[in-house]
Amino acid sequence: MKFKVPIFSVKNLSFIVRGQKILSNISLEIFNSEYVAIIGPNGGGKTTLIRMLLGLEEPTSGEIKLYGKNIKDFKFWDKIGYVPQRASHVDASFPATVQDIVNMGRTSKRGFFSRMNEKDKEAVHDSMVKMGVLHLKDKMVGTLSGGQRQRVMIARALASKPEILILDEPNTGVDILSQKNFYALLAKLNKEERITIVFITHDIGVIADDIGRLFTVNQKAIICNNPKEALSCEEMSELYGIEAHLIHNHKHEH
Amino acid sequence: MLEMFEYDFMQRAFLAGIIIAVLASISGTFVVLRRYSMISETLAHSALVGVAVGLVAGLNPLWMAVVFAIFSAWLIEYLRSYFSLYSDAVLAVLLSGSLATAVIIVSLGGAFNNSLFSYLFGSILSVSNEDLITILIFGTISMVLLLAFSKELYFIAYDEEVAQTSGIKVKLVNFLLVTVVAIIIALSIRVVGSLLIGALMVIPTIAALQYKVGFLYTVLLALAFALVSVACGMTLSFYFSLPSGATIVLCVLVLFILSLIRNKK
Ligand SMILES: Nc1ncnc2c1ncn2[C@@H]1O[C@H](COP(=O)(O)OP(=O)(O)OP(=O)(O)O)[C@@H](O)[C@H]1O
Ligand SMILES: [Mg+2]
Repeated sequence: MKFKVPIFSVKNLSFIVRGQKILSNISLEIFNSEYVAIIGPNGGGKTTLIRMLLGLEEPTSGEIKLYGKNIKDFKFWDKIGYVPQRASHVDASFPATVQDIVNMGRTSKRGFFSRMNEKDKEAVHDSMVKMGVLHLKDKMVGTLSGGQRQRVMIARALASKPEILILDEPNTGVDILSQKNFYALLAKLNKEERITIVFITHDIGVIADDIGRLFTVNQKAIICNNPKEALSCEEMSELYGIEAHLIHNHKHEH
Repeated sequence: MLEMFEYDFMQRAFLAGIIIAVLASISGTFVVLRRYSMISETLAHSALVGVAVGLVAGLNPLWMAVVFAIFSAWLIEYLRSYFSLYSDAVLAVLLSGSLATAVIIVSLGGAFNNSLFSYLFGSILSVSNEDLITILIFGTISMVLLLAFSKELYFIAYDEEVAQTSGIKVKLVNFLLVTVVAIIIALSIRVVGSLLIGALMVIPTIAALQYKVGFLYTVLLALAFALVSVACGMTLSFYFSLPSGATIVLCVLVLFILSLIRNKK
């Protein structure tokens, strides 16, 4: 078996704000081409955990490594596509067409001044096709429906051709049919393009077959390595709540 | 109408006005989208401290305005990171603090006269050759910086955190934006005046936003509104002997109201 450097490696991560423990002693790893779902109750710390993985929030203690490098020294942020919670709640008056938004995904790939070159245009076009929003490209983003906006935000994240896609509950307020299509699309991105997906969601039942592993985050993290156990894991974590112990934290073998 | 261009001072004022319209409207788009509108008011008052120092100490007031505005912009960014919850309060404190300082310096120095009035409300009579050169030099630097970072500025305005996680140096770009805005505001006080420059930065953009078009067209519309307002405002200022800042701002307000009416649902 070949040794693999995990994309994310978290050791003993804790986050305490004004004496209140938000996250406590979390250790986990996320590997290339995995599909990981994160669930947990509201306020359980899912968003906080993701924000720390992205360097948006500093942990009180613990260590975070990206591609084997300490997060402070990590440079290749364009490998990561991020769609935050409520990303689709755009300010209706912000002057942006769908094309403008997806172009943003190329920003850090372009140098100063440089206009979009053929490669940039192709990447933007491809990701709009992939997300099925090409026909909307000249529409103002403020006039789109919730589901359409969600797709646009993911198209922007895909435009930088990321190796990993982190989605924080991007599907709230989207109808059932659109959601099903959306889940199918995520599964396809993971299977066919080998994009690593970290997906925070409450709809664990629907995607249980697609995901590789499931993390339950409620101050502590419970890691289920077996997708078939996914539902029972969820029940278990609900039962134990904050007091839950790490029940399955085998080393993930790739 | 062209007779006004027979005067040298009017040629200079027009040239300065056009440069300022371009700079103020383009930087203004980012300032508005970034929700930094208040910063332009505060920096304008800090620039006034520079003018006061310049007038009293016999130094070039425009250069001094640039120096003080940049200093104030950096101070604001520094304080913001310490009092992140009260950043608008920081702006309010610096605004009144600057104005008070400027008034005291001018009073003590005995320079409380017409010349200060022209820095408050703008004057087409006052643009000297030296001013024009200063405006050209700093204006070019500002424009180059704005163009160089426009895509980063746009991304940050839309979503600062996603921009940061995609590898953009958000702090550096913010710092550049406030520096450029400080320079532009300082340059503008000759023609538009420190009490009114905030309006020329902000109103063309909010007028353009009423048309609900993409980013490029929004910038171009704001630019067009600013140019038209400056041209009309200066013409009115010339024929009716009014302070140019006031006539410019009234023109831009008219354009804003027309935009509101035209795009009313
Ligand atoms: N910087 C901070 N300062 C204070 N409290 C914080 C901070 N960051 C997170 N919290 C708190 O941490 C808790 C976890 O929040 P978080 O947003 O991570 O939960 P979540 O699991 O994403 O919830 P949801 O399902 O509602 O999105 C909340 O109680 C929140 O108020
Ligand atoms: Mg959350």
